[in-house]
Amino acid sequence: MRDVVVAGLLALRDYVATHVLTCLVPAFLLAGGIVSFVNREVILEYLGEKRSKLSSFSLASIASFFVAACSCTVIPVASGLYFGGASIGVAFIILWVAPATNILALTYTGSLLGASMALARVVAAIIMAFLVGSTMSLVFQKEHTAPAPSGESQPKGAILEKRSALLLFLVLLSLLLPNYLIRSGPYLHKVILWAVLTVLFAVYAKLTLPPKAIREWLRETLWFVRLIFPLLLLGVFVVGVIGKLLPKTWIRAWLGGNSIRSSFLATLIGAISYFATLTEAPFVSTLMKLGMGKGPALALLLTGPGLSLPNWLAIARVFGGKKALVYVTTIVLLGTVVGWFFGNFIFAP
Amino acid sequence: MNIAVFGMGCPKCKATEQNVREACKALGIDAEVTHVADPREFARAGVRMTPAVVVDGTVLFSGKVPTVEELKEALQKLRS
Repeated sequence: MRDVVVAGLLALRDYVATHVLTCLVPAFLLAGGIVSFVNREVILEYLGEKRSKLSSFSLASIASFFVAACSCTVIPVASGLYFGGASIGVAFIILWVAPATNILALTYTGSLLGASMALARVVAAIIMAFLVGSTMSLVFQKEHTAPAPSGESQPKGAILEKRSALLLFLVLLSLLLPNYLIRSGPYLHKVILWAVLTVLFAVYAKLTLPPKAIREWLRETLWFVRLIFPLLLLGVFVVGVIGKLLPKTWIRAWLGGNSIRSSFLATLIGAISYFATLTEAPFVSTLMKLGMGKGPALALLLTGPGLSLPNWLAIARVFGGKKALVYVTTIVLLGTVVGWFFGNFIFAP
Repeated sequence: MNIAVFGMGCPKCKATEQNVREACKALGIDAEVTHVADPREFARAGVRMTPAVVVDGTVLFSGKVPTVEELKEALQKLRS
């Protein structure tokens, strides 16, 4: 018993020592910046307009990157669009893409699991988004009775001001560069590069933005810290404990390789259990060290934050049980196939 | 005055409700504060991002937790 707790604490110590400064701090600052600088209302206005399926689906997939970072905020957004007249395909694409692959999760996955995994995550999520959107609109197209939005588009505000766009880009650099440029050597090197870049964007922010905007940015950042950080620490601890308890042979047997079965199991674990935003990455990283295959890892990364049992219930409550059932089934099937496909044909040596 | 906080019970929505109550207290407004948790109501009220604060049908804030100061200022404007 004591061993197990110690393993959890050790995982926590490793994690805090090597990720908080160079991964989490910039990631939270970036997320806070997106929430406070990006005008999401305008993005949603674009999404509510009538368009062809191809263009509305693409737009929804791209917009989801910036709209929300966790499944709790995305349900109101998706339902708002749906009941406001957007197509059901668009609503469910937002519901899927925003948690499965937003900019926060993506950069974090990259620095923890490598760029190829991050790239696979975004490509797979978008392919799945199109398939989910098509399935939902095929099955439920006739049911949708919400009023169609008026055809005329009104002039809209800017989505993002130029100077805040540049600021977000600088924050993104402070998140990416230390983790991609410095792959070996002492951790201190990363911290130094991170500190230099952080000073850079702090000075830039101070010079170009009004104090009120900066305060708002920091306030949103603090919200992310308060909401996600405790869950993340708990997640890392639990992962450490699981790593100690579960024998390697089990993980290899059930989640190893790239078979359909291990991909299906990984998808199911992800689809049922609740992962707070970002916790899926350390979880997958630990399981991979214990022998999980790359395909199942991708499947778990995708479905982990995107779906969970409480999330199913919320979707069922808002959109109706039938839609929730079709959505969850589609995701589980797609996740399995995508994990299997990427494992065998994309990641294969 | 009828003040509705829109949100699905997330921590941000709860903080918003608390700030609304504090602002009302500070201004001495005797308002009825309700919490709307049904997303279908969100669309009807024109709320796109939660948490949102809706006063007598007008969306004052949406997509962020307004501070007590911001709320006081906005409510004061409505009253005058």
